[in-house]
Amino acid sequence: MLSDRLYERDKTFTLANYALVLQSTELRDTLATTVAFAVATTMLSVALGVLFAVLLTRTDLPGRRFLHDIVILPFYVSPLVLAFAWAIVYGPSGFATIGVGTILGLPTWQLYTVGGMAVVAAVYFVPYSYLYATGSLALTDPQLEDASRIAGAGPFRTLWSITLPLLRPAILSGTLLTLVSTVELLSIPLVLGQPVGVQVLATFLYGTATRSTPNDYGIVAATSVAMLVGITLLVWLQTRITGPERRYVTVGGKAIRGRVVALGAMRWPVSALLWLYIAAGVALPLLGIFAQASTSFLTPLVNPLELLTLDNFKQIFEQPAYVGSIRNSLIIATVGGLLATVFIAFAVLVTNRSDFPLRGALAYVALYPRAIPGIIVGIGFLWTMLLIPGLGGIRNTLIALTVAFTVRFLPIGFGAVMPSVLRISGELDRASRVAGASWLTTMRAILVPLLRPALASAFVLLFVSFLKEYASALFLVAGGSEVIGTTMIEFWRQGNSGPVAALAATQLVLTLVAIVVGQRLLGARLRG
Amino acid sequence: MAERSGDLVIEGLVKLFEGGVRAVDDVSITIRQGEFVTLLGPSGCGKTTTLNCVAGLERPDAGRIAVGGDVLTDMSRRVVLPPERRDLGMVFQSYALWPHMTVHDNLAYGLRLRNVPRAETESRIKATLDLVELAGLEKRYPYQLSGGQQQRVALARAVVAQPRVLLLDEPLSNLDAKVRERARFWLRDLQRRLGITAVYVTHDQAEALAISDRVAVMSAGRVLQYAPPSDIYERPSSRFVAEFIGRSSFLRGEVVRVASGRAEVRLAGSGTIVSAASTAAGTAPGDHVILAVRSERIDMHGENAAENVVRARIKSYVYAGAEYEYILDTPEGELRASSQRAVSGPDVRLHLPPDGIVVLQDEAPSA
Repeated sequence: MLSDRLYERDKTFTLANYALVLQSTELRDTLATTVAFAVATTMLSVALGVLFAVLLTRTDLPGRRFLHDIVILPFYVSPLVLAFAWAIVYGPSGFATIGVGTILGLPTWQLYTVGGMAVVAAVYFVPYSYLYATGSLALTDPQLEDASRIAGAGPFRTLWSITLPLLRPAILSGTLLTLVSTVELLSIPLVLGQPVGVQVLATFLYGTATRSTPNDYGIVAATSVAMLVGITLLVWLQTRITGPERRYVTVGGKAIRGRVVALGAMRWPVSALLWLYIAAGVALPLLGIFAQASTSFLTPLVNPLELLTLDNFKQIFEQPAYVGSIRNSLIIATVGGLLATVFIAFAVLVTNRSDFPLRGALAYVALYPRAIPGIIVGIGFLWTMLLIPGLGGIRNTLIALTVAFTVRFLPIGFGAVMPSVLRISGELDRASRVAGASWLTTMRAILVPLLRPALASAFVLLFVSFLKEYASALFLVAGGSEVIGTTMIEFWRQGNSGPVAALAATQLVLTLVAIVVGQRLLGARLRG
Repeated sequence: MAERSGDLVIEGLVKLFEGGVRAVDDVSITIRQGEFVTLLGPSGCGKTTTLNCVAGLERPDAGRIAVGGDVLTDMSRRVVLPPERRDLGMVFQSYALWPHMTVHDNLAYGLRLRNVPRAETESRIKATLDLVELAGLEKRYPYQLSGGQQQRVALARAVVAQPRVLLLDEPLSNLDAKVRERARFWLRDLQRRLGITAVYVTHDQAEALAISDRVAVMSAGRVLQYAPPSDIYERPSSRFVAEFIGRSSFLRGEVVRVASGRAEVRLAGSGTIVSAASTAAGTAPGDHVILAVRSERIDMHGENAAENVVRARIKSYVYAGAEYEYILDTPEGELRASSQRAVSGPDVRLHLPPDGIVVLQDEAPSA
């Protein structure tokens, strides 16, 4: 990537590409849209995520456990599928839009706007800040809240003065992660913004790179680097601000669950609002996917039961190329997920449990990809394989995709395993070494068995992530190596929403199966 | 005794946990105004649950809790005041200092909630910090303080609003051993100066004896003995109390004669008759009893004693600095004894002074 950025066709060093980027008014507009989109998405999703976390962990809201599972559901759904789902239900000719506008004659909404994109993206990102906040709430010493009650504060005053301020580091982490993830998000702007000319950096990069006249490569690379620098800055900021928060580390008390605040008369209205969010934001769109997939034309004007058909699924399952994309996704998710889990286990153990001199750097390298947008990973890999002799052979193969996906999702796997490793006392290792085992034997016989549940969780997370990944694949697939996500985008560009929905439905079912099987058979623990 | 104004009265307190376990099983104690009372027992005995019921943090299943005339909890009338309306102070095991607030703000929180005027708030914070010897640290955050300082801030926060009762949940357990011993004196001194009623929870028997006016020894949700520390130590009411506090040995026997508060007991192993000065009311000849003897009360230099003598053989010993600790084989079973001087063995004559023997009813005669 560096060489394309720095050298022109005659291979001379130049900064002209950066100048091009800065002069373009198109890019300046794009940048402004990106910022607006990212800020709106972040504010909405963090507010909802923290609110839900407090409601579901600190109040007596009915059905909390079930609601928890539903609130984090979008985390397992591809944003591409969520975008399609919202378009099907709330788009200009969507089921709900027509229903409310034409049949009921009420004013409707504009989904294909920056605001509409932000709402959909917020639903997708709510689990991020929700999980950060619930994690933090679970670790907060409940005696801090008890002390506030004893001091004379009522339950709501305690939530406001003690519980919420203690969440500050979690809120900050959630905010920055959502901000970064929104900037790199391609699917929702692609599906909801592109048709009406709303462009963000990610869609700009995608559009320019796929147009692929040689002159544009410089601009793509320059924009990518600018994006990387910006995002790296944000990530650095996050570790700077939340890293040394010793203020929030409290002396461990007895492990008792936080006390639950009785909402009283507000219990049912609050509950109703939460259910409304789930119904309108998550359940209805996902139902829309299945409805669209199994009808020839989805509209409230005709009873969908009269239009039931299996054509959409036939279209996919009768075409070897499309079946191939499902098979490819499954192969990458299973084999690639396993390889990545093994790699992560090794990397985590080396960084945490060895004297390897570069272990600090290894941890950084493993965690850095969370700063790299998927689309840039894809472009970077593509060029690497074009430029380095000998690597051309694996281009357009599942190997290339597996490697790119692994790099992209290393931080997720790392995050799933790291806390468990930190909880295992180092004395267990030392006891094994003293008993005569080598480092490798110790890891194999002591650490890995103890980490089994965490590794199972990591594998299920990676499986689901690989299954839904599309952004980094866009530039790495060719005939024969398509995955579900890229095939969906292809159908969507052709305007075939039926097969898109059928593929999306297939992906959703596969994801659900993976989660259930993972929890039941592998003992993976995915609840936050 | 009669209930006085300001006394903390706990009556018939019951708390069931999931599965029907009686975490607190019919606890009734009265704590007089200005008194320092400790709930002492092993973990899981219900002492913290009892304290939390007083604080209003847990809802008991039965019982009544009142301070003076004010009812805090009365399950027969379904009354449970929330914690914020009980006017109590509490020091938590983890201190529970709010990490996002300075020392000053931690103390000011409760005063603001009580609408104390600003000037008075400041003067009370200053006076309280002076009292705990932390003047000048108002602007620090909790993480900038040592463990001992945090503990004192927690105490200052608990008393700054001048509550009716101060509750302390193992407040010294996170301190180093040396600091902890000093903190005992300091805490006791502070409580006396404030004249505040204090309920203290600990599993550390030495701490309980050192600090309290009265100690309630708890086990399995019940109060086994509620008495001043010296009574608890000298005249334990049950084998559990004798075992839990200090180091005791137990000898089985049968009462042969009771006269003027003294009992003569035939030891089960050797048949030797020993006399004991401390006897529970109702002890009668023929009773199977257990004799409890503190290890430091056994005289290992009993060569010249005429009565209350048990023959023993030294099984093992350790040197513990202030004393030697012995494990002895006797016809009555294994005994533990200590001596400030080394004893030449292996065979010794032990003298058990009558006033060092406590006669307890044998709860499980054949065990």
